[in-house]
Amino acid sequence: MQTTPASSDTELQADNLRRAAIDKSVKGPVLFLFTNGAFWLMLSTILGVLAAIKLVEPEFLGNAPFISYGRLQPAHINALVYGWGVQAALGVMLWIMARRSGQELKHGKSLLITAGVFWNITITVGILAILMGKSTSIEWLEMPKFVWPVLLACFLCYAWPIARMFGRAFRPEGFMVSTWYILGACFWFPWIFITANVALHCLPGLGALGAGIDAWYIHGVILLFFVPVGIGAAYYFIPKITGQPIASAQLASAGFWTLAILGGWTGMQKYMGGPLPAWMTAVGAATGVLLLIPVGLVGLNHHLTTLGKHSAVASSPTLRFIFFGALFYPVSGFVLALNSAFWTGSALQFTQSWYSFQVVSVYGFFSMCVFGAIYYIVPRLSGCEWLSVRLIRNHFWFSVYGIGTIVVMSLVAGWQQGADLNNPEHWDQNFMNHVVNSRAYVVSRAVAWALISFSNLMFLLHLLLMVAGLGRRSSAPTLLHREHDEHALPAHA
Amino acid sequence: MNFRSFILGLAAAFGLPWLCLIVIPVVKYQQLTPVAYDKDKDGVEGMFPPAPINAQGQLVYVREGCNQCHTQMIRPSQLGLDGWYKGWGQDQEARPVAARSNVLRDYLSEKYALLGIQRVGPDLTNFGWRAPEAAALHVHFYAPRSVHDWSTMPAYTQLYKLQKIQGPPSDRALKLSKKFAPPAGYEVVPTPEADRLVEYLLSLKRDYPVPGQSAAVAASPAKK
Repeated sequence: MQTTPASSDTELQADNLRRAAIDKSVKGPVLFLFTNGAFWLMLSTILGVLAAIKLVEPEFLGNAPFISYGRLQPAHINALVYGWGVQAALGVMLWIMARRSGQELKHGKSLLITAGVFWNITITVGILAILMGKSTSIEWLEMPKFVWPVLLACFLCYAWPIARMFGRAFRPEGFMVSTWYILGACFWFPWIFITANVALHCLPGLGALGAGIDAWYIHGVILLFFVPVGIGAAYYFIPKITGQPIASAQLASAGFWTLAILGGWTGMQKYMGGPLPAWMTAVGAATGVLLLIPVGLVGLNHHLTTLGKHSAVASSPTLRFIFFGALFYPVSGFVLALNSAFWTGSALQFTQSWYSFQVVSVYGFFSMCVFGAIYYIVPRLSGCEWLSVRLIRNHFWFSVYGIGTIVVMSLVAGWQQGADLNNPEHWDQNFMNHVVNSRAYVVSRAVAWALISFSNLMFLLHLLLMVAGLGRRSSAPTLLHREHDEHALPAHA
Repeated sequence: MNFRSFILGLAAAFGLPWLCLIVIPVVKYQQLTPVAYDKDKDGVEGMFPPAPINAQGQLVYVREGCNQCHTQMIRPSQLGLDGWYKGWGQDQEARPVAARSNVLRDYLSEKYALLGIQRVGPDLTNFGWRAPEAAALHVHFYAPRSVHDWSTMPAYTQLYKLQKIQGPPSDRALKLSKKFAPPAGYEVVPTPEADRLVEYLLSLKRDYPVPGQSAAVAASPAKK
């Protein structure tokens, strides 16, 4: 570990120096992405609270058009996905790839910062445009169509150096599963993003096929971008912190390639029974269930790696977040399978259960892993340790309870909505039963997002203090099981 | 496995679904055109689908994000009871006959079919058949809770203009119940955007018979 006091072993010392040099070379861009991402996350969760309240009580805060549910909800999701998700992912990808490949970021640092600035400006413009009534109503691509080429260019500015590091350090005999996932994410995201945007914004109308492509895009981004980054971080940090090697190389390899092969097929089952050719939705549904295989393989591997080291989960903030994030991976796979399978999917179609999948995969799984990574990375870049155990603990527990509530409640709400929709006795009635029955679940969604907003407020403040260099001056990392709140103040305070 | 074969593996794993699910269907979709009904077989004349979508009104629908809560897709009976809902299709008298589920051509003239994200409110695929008069629909948009007090639909007041009554009241003024009525001496009239949106919704009728598989064909005795 970098913070280990210098030993007499010169080799170890040289190693530490090399790591410090790598950290220093990526410090600027990575901290920039994390900080801006955390701001977007804060905004997104607040919009999530507002949107959920507006879904129950549309007159809340008045009837101003820019806070109607139809505009708030896409703004909330876009802030979560592009503002926080992609940005934080790029930061983690850049750092892990640099460390794992042992390469410094030689040049182009200012280009990366510029790309980051442009990314944030573009997202700001895009989300304001949604709220001002320029939404395209294409789920996850609601921002106006001039936005995507800029986002793509910014993404490629990051993807290129990451891929170069991978290429230079590739060792056929070496076992580098975390970098496989990260390179995959670098490679697939632009492909998916270009395909969906060209198809939906540039080609002449695609009618119902366009809706299918959009559903495919959402699942592609989740399964081939957010999931690989989350798993990549888990594969990097779990062995690092538990001190155990990854349990099985075969399982890791099989988990990676089954995800790669299956990930691109799924999504269109969102419109099963709809106007799309039946084989397309059927393939999507079948794959949605088959994806339980890579989920199971990775879950088993992580389980075997952490076996007997669970005490580290209690003490290390990084491992705690990543461990629970990794637990949410099987949960998200399970929710996807429920949404996809014909006999449960018919009840869950067009219900909150699909929102549940987006939240559990982007927030429950991906973001929790990224939080863990941030708790490890930031002290090494800013040169100080996290200030307060209490802030980390609260961030963790409020996030876990919030996400858990959203997932469980949205699934149950989905079941309720589906049962109401398919209740033959409702055939000649208006929608009163559906609206009244789902109200309580939406209220719980608002409460859950409020809990998460609270946890993010603490995370954001903590991160800002760290980035400003106001953390603890200590060589001992901040661990959760030892009470060192009493000397949690910065050394110079 | 060297670097090149790794990249090739990534490309092949994703390229196959990309080709099969996106590229080929998109190319084939470009060749999809309206078809003519066969008078003898279908019992009707003209083209299917009969008319292009009202794109101007759809823009308002898109802008306000209506598809967050309203779907436009009827599922077949084995998946859901959508088609059996009263007013979700044309045929109200001859029950039990469900409104048909949708086919690709139903959305042929649409740039992007708004199939919907969630079904918080009722489906609008064939809303034109059950829609009330335009005036009543305007009241619904301006004050949804004046129609149903449990409604969670937002009030789209920005599509309406509150104006001082000068001279005789406008005959387009919304007839609002007391609780939602404007102050005395004022009236609420629809803007052109509200009119476009209402025209669009009234035009939503996507259960015309599909050439070659209409109800008439299904009901007629099998010919050998």
